[in-house]
Amino acid sequence: MPTELRHATVAALALWVSTATPSHAQLTAREVLDRVDANMTVTTARLTARMSITYREGDVRDLTFESWSLGTDQAFMEFTAPARDAGSRFLRRGNAMWIFLPRVGKSVRIQGHMLRQGLMGSDFSYGDASENPSMAEDYDATIERRDTLEGRQAYVLYLTARRADLSYPGRRVWVDMERLVPLKEEWFARSGKLLKTAEFGDVRRVGDRWYPFRIELDNALQADTRTTLQVLDIRFNVAIADEIFSLRHLESGS
Amino acid sequence: MSDRKRRIPLVRLALRNARRNTRRTLLTLSAIMVAVAALTYGLAHLTGIIGNLLDSYARLESGHVRIRHEGYTERERFLPVHLNMRRLSEMLEIVRGHPGVTEALPRIRLAALVDGASVNRPGLLLGVDLSREERYLGPQAMTASGRLPRAGSPEVLVGAEFAEKLGVGIGDTLTLLSQTAYRSLGGARLVVTGLASSGIPYLDNTFLIAPLDQAQSMVDLQDATTEIVVFADDHTHAQGLAEELRKALSPEFKEIEVLSWHDQGQLVRMLDMMQPILAVFFLILLTMACLVIVNTMLMTVMERMREYGMYAALGMRRRDIVKLILAEGSLIGLLGAVVGGVIGTLFAVWLEQTGISVAGAARAVDMPFQGRLYPDWRPTFALVTIASGVLAAALATLYPAWRAVRRSPAESLRA
Repeated sequence: MPTELRHATVAALALWVSTATPSHAQLTAREVLDRVDANMTVTTARLTARMSITYREGDVRDLTFESWSLGTDQAFMEFTAPARDAGSRFLRRGNAMWIFLPRVGKSVRIQGHMLRQGLMGSDFSYGDASENPSMAEDYDATIERRDTLEGRQAYVLYLTARRADLSYPGRRVWVDMERLVPLKEEWFARSGKLLKTAEFGDVRRVGDRWYPFRIELDNALQADTRTTLQVLDIRFNVAIADEIFSLRHLESGS
Repeated sequence: MSDRKRRIPLVRLALRNARRNTRRTLLTLSAIMVAVAALTYGLAHLTGIIGNLLDSYARLESGHVRIRHEGYTERERFLPVHLNMRRLSEMLEIVRGHPGVTEALPRIRLAALVDGASVNRPGLLLGVDLSREERYLGPQAMTASGRLPRAGSPEVLVGAEFAEKLGVGIGDTLTLLSQTAYRSLGGARLVVTGLASSGIPYLDNTFLIAPLDQAQSMVDLQDATTEIVVFADDHTHAQGLAEELRKALSPEFKEIEVLSWHDQGQLVRMLDMMQPILAVFFLILLTMACLVIVNTMLMTVMERMREYGMYAALGMRRRDIVKLILAEGSLIGLLGAVVGGVIGTLFAVWLEQTGISVAGAARAVDMPFQGRLYPDWRPTFALVTIASGVLAAALATLYPAWRAVRRSPAESLRA
């Protein structure tokens, strides 16, 4: 190949690559996290989802729940199916979490050892559910490399916890370079041991944001199960009464 | 004349010799006595430790045979309630009617979050048939204050140390949350009726005992359980009984595992393996005791070389001198060993009544080890150690006796 032609080909490829890459490809790690938070955190939101727990024996347990969120601090969740789990409710305020089971008739604060247990037997722990969904507030980030995942270009960020009380001192996050939502996350213990892997899919446009409607979670310490969370319906910026996030509402449900 | 010379009154001579130097005799005797007493008690002590572990493990954990859902043992550390056995009453009827079965006890073990006054902690809830457990788990015996829960009532007995950590006492209500048989979340509110002290620290720090029906209702196990613990007439046939029960249950109950205590975990196998190790340990102790005896006997005989030279000079045959020394050693050995055996026995029997507090050591081990150790003395221990002491003393005289007679009388007299 003549030298001029080779140069022209390289220049054309470079131009194609530069135009194919989104305009925010040169973001810093902090800016990437801020934009991910903008997609993943809410002012208010109401969500209906199905949590499917697949067991080693092959059977699958489906649970359906509704949740209400206010900012990054407050959330309320109520299971609606199956019948034996209907009415089980969870309240999160800041890092504190309470559970109410109709058959017990009293709310119990979840703390200590229980935070590491699976929420309703799933791979999501109560600790996972009680943590601040904003990554930018709790983690420092560095861009490790760029990668391609499921055909999508991604930043690979490594996040280091700023506080000692977070469940995962280290996280590796694959962030879609175009949509700025997570595609995959690996959650690590202080020792560097991989604890959980989350894969995000079914990313849809909702209003002015992209949002993953499916999360598959694999707990490395609990080989018996795999949990898939499928969002059935989500509405952002809906009016929610403050009363929903109270212990009284947790126990009465009304 | 020569025939009369041969009939030497060995025992009388030996007794006279022993009495001639009381201090020397007492020294030899006390060395044998201490060694035999230590061996007698040591055997009872070691047997007590093994018995403590086996007894606690069988009563609290394994039984002689344990029946559970297939795959439960593999995932035991998660206490998987979803691996349970239905049609419990039918199953119990078959097991309790089987020859060689003394008792079959349904138990439900649950990992629970226990919410107390202001804190909650992980706990181990045992749902048991309280009317049948007294000889095994012994809930009444471990109730330090208050009373046992009643079947049919939402009540619970709590480990005293666990209750303290939860900040609750008798009359308070605990909220318990646990995974149900359907893997969802279940719970119950139970009133504390009593505080328990089992003497087994890992239990006292975490356990609660509730009537079986309360545990069944809490985790959706109606007419079901997570395990049946079986006790046999003769625990040495546990493996045979497990096989028989497997056959008896298999036509009706398919997905079950029936395991003898040997096959359930490391502990019983480890203790079985310990028997030859303990035998070697005992032999080492015996050898050390024998060396003490040999040493003392050697000194005793060597310092009497001139005396033996005198016997030879007076015409006593070498063989008779050896017999005399052997008789003297055996006599002192017998006396010292019997006294030592009696002392070791008395000490062991006394401690069998009072026990020895090993709570500090028990606290450090994560296994069913009671905080009070009782030695387990058996007549054979005293007989074996006394015989060993006599034999050691007798054998210990052979070398110095040989040394004494291989010299000429003149050499011995000059020694």
